[in-house]
Amino acid sequence: MAEKKFKRILKDLVNLKDTSELMLNLAYSALLLNSKELADEVLKLEEYVDKLHTEFELAVLSSGFKPEESKNFLGLIRIGVVTEEIADAAAEIAETVLRGLKPHPVLKMVIEEADETVSIARVSDKSPLKGKTLREAKIPDKSGMWVLVIKRGEKWIRPRPDVMIKAGDILIASGYSEGEEDFERLASGEAPDEDKSFRE
Amino acid sequence: MIWSAIKAMADLERIRYKPVTIRELLVEIKNLSELMIDLAYSAALFDSRELAKDVLDLEKHVDTLAYLLNMNLMIAARDAEDAEALLGAFTVASSANKISDAAADIATIVLQDIGIHPIIREAFEIVEEHLSRIEVKPNSPLIGKTLGDLKLASKIGVDVIAIRRGNEWLINPEDEEKVKANDILIARGSKAGLEALKMMGLKE
Repeated sequence: MAEKKFKRILKDLVNLKDTSELMLNLAYSALLLNSKELADEVLKLEEYVDKLHTEFELAVLSSGFKPEESKNFLGLIRIGVVTEEIADAAAEIAETVLRGLKPHPVLKMVIEEADETVSIARVSDKSPLKGKTLREAKIPDKSGMWVLVIKRGEKWIRPRPDVMIKAGDILIASGYSEGEEDFERLASGEAPDEDKSFRE
Repeated sequence: MIWSAIKAMADLERIRYKPVTIRELLVEIKNLSELMIDLAYSAALFDSRELAKDVLDLEKHVDTLAYLLNMNLMIAARDAEDAEALLGAFTVASSANKISDAAADIATIVLQDIGIHPIIREAFEIVEEHLSRIEVKPNSPLIGKTLGDLKLASKIGVDVIAIRRGNEWLINPEDEEKVKANDILIARGSKAGLEALKMMGLKE
């Protein structure tokens, strides 16, 4: 029983940390692309984080720790609060997009200057990524970009290494701007790498 | 307690207006806030008080930058239209500032000796991003090379986010920074990449 609770706390914490950082990436992406859809997703994730955070705190508090362990468990609770604060900050950024505040050109410059760019690509039927898990697809090795989130139909999927990429998936990725072309080529399946080396 | 609060108040300096571009300030605030989160988690992971103190210093620095940014935004807004256009920049800066506060909260957990539960370390194992502390032994092949030469990001998918050299911390080191013997590198990246870097650090 204690073991089971421990696992639950761990799972929730990983989820909180992961989701809050994902939200921040998505929020900056929403700003850069002026995408209300992405911004809306950030707000939905914020609700999810709030719920998860409450569950996490309840799991910690009911784990039956001994008095001498209480400091360790306080540390856990505090880290949970921090992830929630990060999620809130991400939501505030997303809200500016939803309120239709015209993104000031300076903001775009800022996000691009932070050596990152955000790119969206649809996985075509001929894409070499199709049918591979993210781990197998090695997108960061091949393009220097990493997938922030996958949109499949109406659903948003978090890019866990064992998620299988399907044709029709929309990948939102961030990374160094030089990798953008390679990333788009991977998703579309056009002009494979061999051709590129021929041209060079 | 009260005395320390008064003293803390006295420590806050007056921040005088400086003409700095909004863009420069925003870039700095955004980058620092993200870096601080990584550093703060590293401080918790390695139970490092020095790193935690550094996060608190950076937090003060971000506060100063945020004040300067706000002053510059106020001057930049000449009419209602400007004010509307600049509101986005203001909100982003204030969110980034909150993120730096969140990082400082983690650092405080370390400095107050509130325990770092083993679950926190385990959580890092699971999250794809890993942080590592790499010692550069004398005769390591890393020594004398600049971070730019090493191209760690493109070759092994690892990013050096800080270097500790003696008592000094170099946060977000430049590409031109040379690795020296006995440096401690704090790096972020794939598990395999960090292992590879660790080996390079150890090689004698």
